[in-house]
Amino acid sequence: MHFSPIFILDFGLMAMLLVVAFAVVRIRSLFAIVMLQGVYSLLSAAWFVSLDAVDVAFTEAAVGAGISTVLMLGAMLLTDRQAKPIPVHQKMGPFLVVVVAGLAMFYAIGDMPAYGDALSPANAYIGAEYIEATKREIFIPNVVTAVLASYRGYDTFGETVVIFMAGLGVLLLLGLNGNAGKWRAKPNGHNIGEGAPTPARNPVENEPKPVAKSTKAKRTAKKTVGVKS
Amino acid sequence: MSPHLVLRVVAKMLIPLIALFAFYVQFHGDFGPGGGFQAGVILAAGIILYALVFGIDAAKKAVPPSWIRIGMSFGVLLYGGTGVATWMLGGNFLDYTQFAPESTHAAGQHWGIFAVELGVFCTVTCAMLAIFYAFGSRTPELSDEDW
Amino acid sequence: MDIVSIFPAWVLTHGPALLVVLPLMMAVLTALAPNKNIAGVNIPWVMTGGTVVVCAILAFSVLMQVLSHGPINYAMGGWEPPIGIAYYIDALNAPILLLITLVAVLCTLYALPSVSAEVEPKKRAPFYAAFLVSFAGLLGMVTTGDAFNVFVFLEVSSISTYVLVAMGASRDRRALTAAYNYLIMGSIGATFLVIGIGFLYMQTGTLNMIDIARILQESGPDSRVVKLAFAFIVVGLGLKLAMFPLHTWLPGAYAYAPSFMTAFLAATATKAALYLLLRFTFTIFDPSWGFVGKSLMYLLAGMGILGMMVASLQAIFQNDLRRVLAFSSVAQVGYMLLGIGMATTLGVTAGYLHMINHAIMKGALFLAVGAFWYRFGITQVSDMRGLGKTMPLTMAAFTIAGLSLIGVPGTVGFVSKLALARAAAENGWWWAIGVIVVTSILAIVYIGRLIEQAYFHEPPNQGGGTLAKNEAPLIMLIPLWILAISALVFGINAEWTTSLARTAADVLSGGPIVNMPYIAGGH
Repeated sequence: MHFSPIFILDFGLMAMLLVVAFAVVRIRSLFAIVMLQGVYSLLSAAWFVSLDAVDVAFTEAAVGAGISTVLMLGAMLLTDRQAKPIPVHQKMGPFLVVVVAGLAMFYAIGDMPAYGDALSPANAYIGAEYIEATKREIFIPNVVTAVLASYRGYDTFGETVVIFMAGLGVLLLLGLNGNAGKWRAKPNGHNIGEGAPTPARNPVENEPKPVAKSTKAKRTAKKTVGVKS
Repeated sequence: MSPHLVLRVVAKMLIPLIALFAFYVQFHGDFGPGGGFQAGVILAAGIILYALVFGIDAAKKAVPPSWIRIGMSFGVLLYGGTGVATWMLGGNFLDYTQFAPESTHAAGQHWGIFAVELGVFCTVTCAMLAIFYAFGSRTPELSDEDW
Repeated sequence: MDIVSIFPAWVLTHGPALLVVLPLMMAVLTALAPNKNIAGVNIPWVMTGGTVVVCAILAFSVLMQVLSHGPINYAMGGWEPPIGIAYYIDALNAPILLLITLVAVLCTLYALPSVSAEVEPKKRAPFYAAFLVSFAGLLGMVTTGDAFNVFVFLEVSSISTYVLVAMGASRDRRALTAAYNYLIMGSIGATFLVIGIGFLYMQTGTLNMIDIARILQESGPDSRVVKLAFAFIVVGLGLKLAMFPLHTWLPGAYAYAPSFMTAFLAATATKAALYLLLRFTFTIFDPSWGFVGKSLMYLLAGMGILGMMVASLQAIFQNDLRRVLAFSSVAQVGYMLLGIGMATTLGVTAGYLHMINHAIMKGALFLAVGAFWYRFGITQVSDMRGLGKTMPLTMAAFTIAGLSLIGVPGTVGFVSKLALARAAAENGWWWAIGVIVVTSILAIVYIGRLIEQAYFHEPPNQGGGTLAKNEAPLIMLIPLWILAISALVFGINAEWTTSLARTAADVLSGGPIVNMPYIAGGH
């Protein structure tokens, strides 16, 4: 075991990651948590650079430290500034899961390939083939781009759909102008179920034109149910 | 005089640079680190910075929410459409070689990668903005006491 | 007879990819479609309906092709596996594709009135788009032959499903907490799965399932990394398929999602995850390895048995109609796991058969429950009184499906429970037969309670007199009755479904998929 600068850097970064992670778990101020998560992302980005995974580092820095910090702040502003304390018995379950999963990983460490082993399957088999084939078949210098967009382009297509779905999801649930969520569903007949206002007040109605119905439903929802969102 | 004058001036200077960097990352992704995903996030970050400094309404004037749904969809359509085009040309789904089967330096692959990265860029930018608009529009105006 | 030859050659070659790409592309177009009816036509619904019908035809062609010509490989991007992503379809996943697409067709028919009542008009187009994404995600999970691609499509289907469950909030605000719960649990499951796949990659250096299986066979079961990967994958998939005790997300999600989404989810989502469990445990890992065999026997069968007992008991004490059925779903997953845990051809056949049959009956039950809400706003068991009179046709279909769930002879439930009992007897697991009998009695209690409310109580008073008869609209009744009738048809003549299950089990008893040649299309 030799203590090269990179080795020390790696350990330093991982130690800092650990410290930040503990801090995130311990602190109750949501603002501090969001900021520390940004720090965590930046540290992992730095660590990825030291692992020579610049593309991953770049993404982590842009997404983890950049956008998600802003989005988390936006979400925090809608909720609260302080996390409610969680009773110990509720913490035990997740804690147990983490400990068991962590111990399981420790159990397997002995059989894992050495750190940075060029002959490990992950580096020697398909990984090496990608590096060879990109020169021959794609003719671009960045192997990562070749793998992402061409060799495994279908995965990237799926990921693009995931992002599209995330956007569509907030559009469905929140609306882009902050006005969604007030519309109430209404049975198409007598409502005798739980939470029905007064029986027989809604006469049987065929479905009216959607636009007219929506505005009417919104108004009644505000008055009778009074749900604040 | 509006508050945060320094912020405004600095932001006005920074935002074009951020956008330029985003496009650099996008179109230089074949050679250096980066690609559609990172570029999309960076461009969205630029617009979000604009929204944070000048208010979300100003940002909505610059990039209207109605574009967002279209842009998000357009990106996936561009990506999938590239695959459909390779189908039309007789290859497998996303087999970019079909765009230039005769090429000796894989020009088809280059075209394909260019198109799909552009699709990713569109979707990521718009989806990030969608999430920001959705949260931001519900926020009461940011006030300094809260920080 | 060659049904395969009626399909154009292009469809036969590219069908597997088109099956997933078409709904994805149509989802995006649907998201852009107008919400308002144009010339009386609900555009998003028509687009969705057209897509799922085409997908069902494609799934049928794929199944026929697999049954007559053997497994299909499709190299995405023309890159041969293992360097590229490949689709791999054999007799194990082809029937599930057909099942998912057919259920989607029926649910989409039903969705026309149901979604109009439950989803805000200006959100209909994105709602249908999200449904198509979730549908495509499930198909992608099932068709793919690439371990990482599984994760990608699992995310595609999961994220859309979280959103769709949350859309039930216009009916009941609790849908939001249910969706959040599902989001957290589902994300933990997906994380476990991806960590497991990561360890598989660490050990083998490849992501293609066939390639992984080959390398694992060469290197043997001794590596701790392989064991770790197996553990993570089983836990991750266990969360997704609602294996007891990882099922806590399921009752809430089923109870508060929009009606048609609950039916679709109950009939398909857990099945896709169960398929993945089969794929990973039997054909990527090797059930003859000690740790795999032991986990099958003790973990899957054990948790299956526990789930059957506990969830059936819980179902009895629920007041919310859909929660009763949701807990019953957890119990039914237990039956499937019990069959799979036996790891014999008979056992796996029974588990697989129960998976198909459960989709039919649970689909019918949830569709009927959605119709009860659509007409009368009913969500509670106590509100069901008199439904036998007020909604006779819907209630009749509900009763058929309910009897099938109990396992009355002549229904699909009986067929698969009998197959399961036979498999247990062959294995010498007599106690398992006892458990099946006991849980069937519990099913009599919780289903009987619903049926008793509907038929042996008068409809409630409503204004002037008793509640008037108000049957569900025809477009809801058609899919409901198709499922109810198939519960009877495949209950009386189970030859086709049993042979499908048998072929699937034969694939699994063949062990890891190492000897499959790569037959790439097109390239």
